[in-house]
Amino acid sequence: MTTAELQTTATVARPSRFDDEVGGPRTQGMTRAGWLFLAPFAVFYILFLIWPVIYMVITSFFNTSMVRSGLGSFAGLANYHEMLTKPDFWGALWHTIQFTIYTTPPLVILSFVFALLANRVRHAQWFFRLAFFVPFILPSAAIALIWTFIFTPSTGLWNEFQSLLGDPAPLPVLGTPSLAMIGIAITTVWWTIGFNFVLYLAGLQDIPRELYEAAAVDGATPWQQIRSITIPLLSRTTTLVLLLQIVASMKIFDQVYLMTSGGPGVSTQVLLGLVTNTAFTDNRIGAASAASVLLFIVILIITLARQIVESIQNRREA
Amino acid sequence: MTESTTASPTTVSTSGRARRARNGVSIAAPAARVVDNSGKGSGRTFNIVSWVVLIVFAVLWLIPSLWAIKTSLTSNSTSAIGAGPILRDWHLTFGSYKTLLSGSDLWHWYLSSFVTSILTVVFAVTFGAMAGYALSRLRFRGRRLVFLLLIGGILVPPQVLIVPVFQFLNVIHLLNTYWAVILPQIPAVVAVFVFKQFFDGIPHDFEESARIDGAGYWRTFRSIILPLSRPVVAAMAIITFVGTWNNLILPLFVLSNPKLMTIPVGLATVQGSYGQRLSDIQASSILGALPLVILFLIFQRQIVEGVAGSGLKG
Amino acid sequence: MAFRDRDSGSYAAGARLSRRGLIRGGLGVAAGVGLAGGLSGCGSALSAGIAGTQLAPGTVMYWNLFGGGDGVRMVAMQDAYTKSPGASPLQAATFAWGNPYYTKLTLATVGGAPPDVAISHLTRMQNLATANLLTEFTDDMLSMVGLSPSDFNQTPWQAQKLNGKSYAIPLDTHPFVLYYNVDVCQKAGLLDSDGNLKPIEGKAGWEAALKAAKDVTKAYGASVSTVGDTATSWRWFTTLYSQRNGNTPFLGDGGRKLTYNRELTLDTLAYIQQLTKSGLMPANTDYAGAQTLMFTGKAGFYLEGEWEITTAQAVKGLKFGMVPVPTIFDKPAAQADSHTFVLPRMDRTEDQLKRAMGFIKFLLTQSMTWAMGGHIPAYLPIKNSEAYQKLLPQANYAKAAEFAVYDPPAWYSGSGSNFENITGAQIGLVQQGLATPQAALDSIRSQLEIYARTESPL
Repeated sequence: MTTAELQTTATVARPSRFDDEVGGPRTQGMTRAGWLFLAPFAVFYILFLIWPVIYMVITSFFNTSMVRSGLGSFAGLANYHEMLTKPDFWGALWHTIQFTIYTTPPLVILSFVFALLANRVRHAQWFFRLAFFVPFILPSAAIALIWTFIFTPSTGLWNEFQSLLGDPAPLPVLGTPSLAMIGIAITTVWWTIGFNFVLYLAGLQDIPRELYEAAAVDGATPWQQIRSITIPLLSRTTTLVLLLQIVASMKIFDQVYLMTSGGPGVSTQVLLGLVTNTAFTDNRIGAASAASVLLFIVILIITLARQIVESIQNRREA
Repeated sequence: MTESTTASPTTVSTSGRARRARNGVSIAAPAARVVDNSGKGSGRTFNIVSWVVLIVFAVLWLIPSLWAIKTSLTSNSTSAIGAGPILRDWHLTFGSYKTLLSGSDLWHWYLSSFVTSILTVVFAVTFGAMAGYALSRLRFRGRRLVFLLLIGGILVPPQVLIVPVFQFLNVIHLLNTYWAVILPQIPAVVAVFVFKQFFDGIPHDFEESARIDGAGYWRTFRSIILPLSRPVVAAMAIITFVGTWNNLILPLFVLSNPKLMTIPVGLATVQGSYGQRLSDIQASSILGALPLVILFLIFQRQIVEGVAGSGLKG
Repeated sequence: MAFRDRDSGSYAAGARLSRRGLIRGGLGVAAGVGLAGGLSGCGSALSAGIAGTQLAPGTVMYWNLFGGGDGVRMVAMQDAYTKSPGASPLQAATFAWGNPYYTKLTLATVGGAPPDVAISHLTRMQNLATANLLTEFTDDMLSMVGLSPSDFNQTPWQAQKLNGKSYAIPLDTHPFVLYYNVDVCQKAGLLDSDGNLKPIEGKAGWEAALKAAKDVTKAYGASVSTVGDTATSWRWFTTLYSQRNGNTPFLGDGGRKLTYNRELTLDTLAYIQQLTKSGLMPANTDYAGAQTLMFTGKAGFYLEGEWEITTAQAVKGLKFGMVPVPTIFDKPAAQADSHTFVLPRMDRTEDQLKRAMGFIKFLLTQSMTWAMGGHIPAYLPIKNSEAYQKLLPQANYAKAAEFAVYDPPAWYSGSGSNFENITGAQIGLVQQGLATPQAALDSIRSQLEIYARTESPL
């Protein structure tokens, strides 16, 4: 999940109005300047976003192969049919959702708790920021190496810890189908909690002191203050964090590819992993494109749902 | 305090932070915490509990990194046996680091990551700022259409496009060059909107006077708007740099040669010819992460602000 | 962010410094990287990365997938090449074994920047050749370095041909074999007077031997990896399955049909599960763990390809032997594949071709080193040499090459392929006791059926 994501959705939430009176009436020079300023960006946007989307949709209807030139034979809806009837596809969809379910609550709740506590203790902020946030800027490959090592079967730190707690033969986390996704989720929570932590911290610091003071004067305990002031005022941040988390989870690829390759078997394979395997290992571009389109539709639905929720929230606040 | 103190979340969230930011106070310094006047007892307990819980978790969070560092300083043969031996062996050795820094492709990976990240930042931020300026200041035919297309683009996650992007790069013969990593990451719609939002907030007075003096749009952009946008440029630059550096899926498939791979890809794909070099592997992950940690330590404030500020925008 | 409130004093100044600082810092680090890292190599990479120039002109780029014991041997052979007179500079890279390697190789070739020479399993190069990703080896090219088809073991040589054309030069054949810990087996009374393993025949013989070993080790009788190692799980299964009378190939008609014998498959899976359930073999051990068990005397036997001989020889104080996998069922059989050299398709100059062929020829002459790493050489001048014939313990299992069983041909099959991943994953679950043979086979069937009915993209 990238920080860029966060800004994207944040800024889309409230696009500025189109003022036609901005800067005066439209002029010929302005039109030309407008396009010229836009041009460099537009070129790359078309080449690397718009055209790939078009190409992806087109090839999804053909049996395009990576090693043969051209579009291949026409397949009609066969690729879509294959994907929608393939247990691997639904499995991948389920695993993606499973990952989302495993990671979102801890990432939202824990980060909130940490931020709350860090805000309260006031000292040594740099230490807590370091501890929680630094993992976030590390490359996925580095954290995957670190955690795969921790999860080494029988002799890794994780299993060693389990033995110390009395489990004589702890199961290999990444090698057991029922535990592998949990292992990936733990890694992800460790990796990305800093992002939400920082968001919540900033949100907490925006709550004016006077509110707490007023409540304290009225005799509210710290817990009551949290419940009636902090949580409600952070609801926007929470919604943002929550929905961002969900959208980002749908696009998961790195951790799964690096830590389990979708295994054991296909018990942790996620949609994007299925897409890349089909395209680059099975050499079947057409089928992979169909899966990509389906993945895109799923993400679209979620993103639109988010927009709706947010606009309802906006309306409610207004 | 000149800002309103109403409980409205929007005013609170932007003004308070902006106020503190303006005064140069670190974002991390809390201005408001839950106040306790209801009696020293429960407040103190809560305080202690907070400290304990926080420290426990912070230490917990540091453990994986510390474990990786400890392992990287242990010999390969000890690491191969298991976690217990690693914990007990305190003969620290830099052997793994020597191996990696002298014989491996790590330097090539550093080079590749630096070149691709820096060039991506230069192009993405420049073009993004220009596009943001166009959308903010210049009214031209088709502006609304462009705007809609950009919003639509935000809905498409780049990872989903890895397959057609690969095909396209192949057709234009750019696979296995740095450009294969740089070019697809240049159209960052995020940057455009961030810049547009920021430019929208700059009053027109500055440009008006420049325009009256006869300056063209480019001159206005370069000499007036940009200097005023330094913080945004810095934030976008950092975020783009980190995002490009950490990108795995794109370079993974478009770069095949080990000497051209970026750090994440190198760490992920190339393995040494010897068997259980666990210490070396951990050392490689430390070395791969090191540049970003250094970057974080230098630019902490900008990174955190970039993340937090943009998150609360809107 | 209301701009009007922004005090362009201290904060903006701070930001201005930070941007300059970023650039300065970045340049500083980059300079440091360049200075410290050996500029020549970086220079070539830089120009290749920016301008697409040839990455390392005048060198031989060689990719392989050899880790572990194999990796050690291959590096020794590469070093010998580098030191030999007239050798070109060598850039070798090793990738993760299996699909990741072949994906990398395919993408590199499709993208126009493949290595000069690459290793490929015989079962995979057939597919690469069908996909038009390999350059043909003509007789002229062979004679360029003094080779001819008759220099090679004809079994792999004939097997690598596609439509009568040669696309691979075989290096070895590598079967699945049985390692045994001499000390443990001695104490268990399993060795004969010469110190060699007494022949083990049939299920009863096998289980008796395991039980005897387990009594000595107080842990396990034999070990084979069960976790995170689909290839070995497949090899173990198919070795046993192929030993049974009436077994049929797992895939038929080029992979378009599933043709395994259902009862034999279920029975073999059940037998495998019984071995781990009864504690004779471990249920949860990965690749490294399985061999460590035998090395440290916690298992008397270890099953894997012969390539782990190098790792075993490096263990101080370990005395071990190797024999073909015993005929536990009806007839001798063992899973095997062959490593071959291939030339990925690219535009080669005469010089490039000479360098590549020269490299291949030299490595073939190093087949003795490779054989010491456990493999059965395909290069006849070495295979038929006295030195090899006398090499122990290789001589004890060399005959396993005669009853080698290759993976069934299909576009999705071969070493490290989806076929092995799918079957191996389920077999692993059976070994770990996490799935019944029935459930495992059903899962295998439903997954493979999809591949079977998919048109080959090659």
